[in-house]
Amino acid sequence: MKKFYLMLVLLVGLAVLAACSSGDEEASGGSSAEGAGSADTITAWAWDPAFNIAALEKAKEAYNGDGDFEVKIIENAQDDIIQKLNTGLSSGTTKGMPNIVLIEDYRAQSFLQAYPDAFHPLTDVINPEDFADYKIATTSHNGEQYGLPFDSGVAGLYVRTDYLEQAGYTAEDLTNITWDEYIEIGKKVKEATGKNMLTLDPNDLGQIRMMIQTNGSWYVKEDGSTPNLAGNETLAKAFETYKKMMDADIGKIVSDWSQFVGAFNSGDVASVPTGNWITPSIKQEAEQSGKWAVVPMPRLDMEGAVNASNLGGSSWYILNVDGKEEAADFMLNTFGSNADLYQTLVKDIGALGTYSAAAEGDAYAVEDEFFGGQQIITDFSKWTDEIPGVNYGLHTYAIEDILVTGMQDYLKGTELTKVLENVQGQAEAQLK
Amino acid sequence: MKNIKRVFIYVFLSLAAIVSIFPFLWMLVSITNKSSDVTKGRLLPGTHLIENMTTLFESVDIVPALVNSTIIAVITTVVTLLLASLAGYGFEIHRSRGKDIVFNILLLSMMIPFAAIMVPLYRMFGSISDTAPLFGIDSLGAVILPTATTAFFIFFFRQNTKMFPKDLVEAGRIDGLSEIGVFFRIYMPTMKTTYAAAAIITFMNSWNNYLWPLVILQSPEKRTIPLLISNLGSSYSPDYGVIMSAIVIATLPTALVFFLMQKHFVAGMMGSVKG
Repeated sequence: MKKFYLMLVLLVGLAVLAACSSGDEEASGGSSAEGAGSADTITAWAWDPAFNIAALEKAKEAYNGDGDFEVKIIENAQDDIIQKLNTGLSSGTTKGMPNIVLIEDYRAQSFLQAYPDAFHPLTDVINPEDFADYKIATTSHNGEQYGLPFDSGVAGLYVRTDYLEQAGYTAEDLTNITWDEYIEIGKKVKEATGKNMLTLDPNDLGQIRMMIQTNGSWYVKEDGSTPNLAGNETLAKAFETYKKMMDADIGKIVSDWSQFVGAFNSGDVASVPTGNWITPSIKQEAEQSGKWAVVPMPRLDMEGAVNASNLGGSSWYILNVDGKEEAADFMLNTFGSNADLYQTLVKDIGALGTYSAAAEGDAYAVEDEFFGGQQIITDFSKWTDEIPGVNYGLHTYAIEDILVTGMQDYLKGTELTKVLENVQGQAEAQLK
Repeated sequence: MKNIKRVFIYVFLSLAAIVSIFPFLWMLVSITNKSSDVTKGRLLPGTHLIENMTTLFESVDIVPALVNSTIIAVITTVVTLLLASLAGYGFEIHRSRGKDIVFNILLLSMMIPFAAIMVPLYRMFGSISDTAPLFGIDSLGAVILPTATTAFFIFFFRQNTKMFPKDLVEAGRIDGLSEIGVFFRIYMPTMKTTYAAAAIITFMNSWNNYLWPLVILQSPEKRTIPLLISNLGSSYSPDYGVIMSAIVIATLPTALVFFLMQKHFVAGMMGSVKG
């Protein structure tokens, strides 16, 4: 028994030691002068070789400033970047950290708030007004602009015109509709073709996120941290709509990304409501060329809701380490002011930026044969301007994890107000 | 009656076998298909094997990652086996007053999850980066160091040493062997099965280790296989044919190590030692 107590004391001692050491971290952490890249090399982290990495490569080619430095582009999966940044930044040493990093908009605020000194403000470097309005709230913090808004997560409804035709509809009939109308059409389409209208992933409520943003609402209140679930009429409406879809049996249930992509590649669904970055995946199935069109995202049947929404999207951030001036110079010269670069991005890799001046270029007006000659980029960038801006705040994914179980309860028959109160309570307890 | 029971057992075992083998089968079939076929769930072999392999070796550049993983796994395994067995031997064979307390503290360290010590570790390696670049951030040394020898393997060797006939040590001493000689010439050959079991586990752990290499390695050219695979899956439109090919290649070395030492592995896990 004596031994047991000795162990216990030791263990507690260890824990106390660990707690103390985190206290003095800040004191010594700030003084670390050692930077990631010396000024002659700046490193950039991003994910997806076909998209963000390719965009960086194009930017590197397009750079025509005076800076004399090498840009080293490193590819990391998005989750990996988050893990690496969190470990590096909380250890207080800037060793190994990149100069430029891409962060998804949903997560940006939590980084800016947790490590306020770790990022280099761009307020004096770029002009926020040059970019789509809705991106600014998520990329700034405490009145300072930190992020350089990059790709647009502007969402659209990709539809299979051939399936719609069989049910007696055209893409026109799905333009600027509400989700309720969408469900009615979905039932008819299923009757006529036997195909489901869309895919639903019970573990990924991107569908809900897109729905509530059409009405300018989010999981958290304006302050970015108070959960806004119970009493949130927009969220309640989105939940009801989701349940209607399930009840109408027009959704094909998928459980991961590959099934999601597989569903529309194999022609199992008649429409895909999602972000514009899915275009390359849709076009992957060349045989379906000419059978697709993109129409505006349906809106919630509520006063004030619009037919424009967003899913995902990310922005560039510059870390407060050696080489930050060079990195800022590089970013301003390329993504921050070069409209031609955005033309190249659209033309060569299909990446749609949020730099407003770029929308006038020829590349945006290109007619895409895969989508029956539709000018999809023009359409997407038009919708980008209509997206209601919301503060994504700190806890998008944490709250979504809670909502996923809430949704299951609701689908099983629990009353909606009770479900939302329940998740509100859980969110408040967990995020305190 | 006996036959019915037998049929039942066979049916059950076959089902279990199918369930556990199916993912492997699917993986093997998928390396011959193109990405859109994989996502559609195609189960027939296709014609894209060469295409997938070409992408993997040319544009993804899997070879350096294989080399890095091999270097790390082999060194970690050798160092772990040597240090853990020395420690296990010492703890069990030699007598000392405080050894049980030290041993218990070691065991306690097994209970601290790695995520809890990751940030301090990162800080430590950050602070030696300038003086000892071989072990600093973004070096293979930094991957090996914290994982070479864990309390578990010391425990594992000590437990197995309990079966080791101590008379052999006495005999060795009488015949004039030094302590080191006893260890290398008597203990090691006798404990072959334990070494084999430990080698397989260390090698697999090290080969599949993800979290620590992820945070400590920064340059693409130092990347290990699991990191490479994680990257492949990061696109908005992942190429599943290529990912599957990478996974198959990543699985081969561990499978190989396992089959080479399978005989000893089972014996080692049972803790039996042939005196």
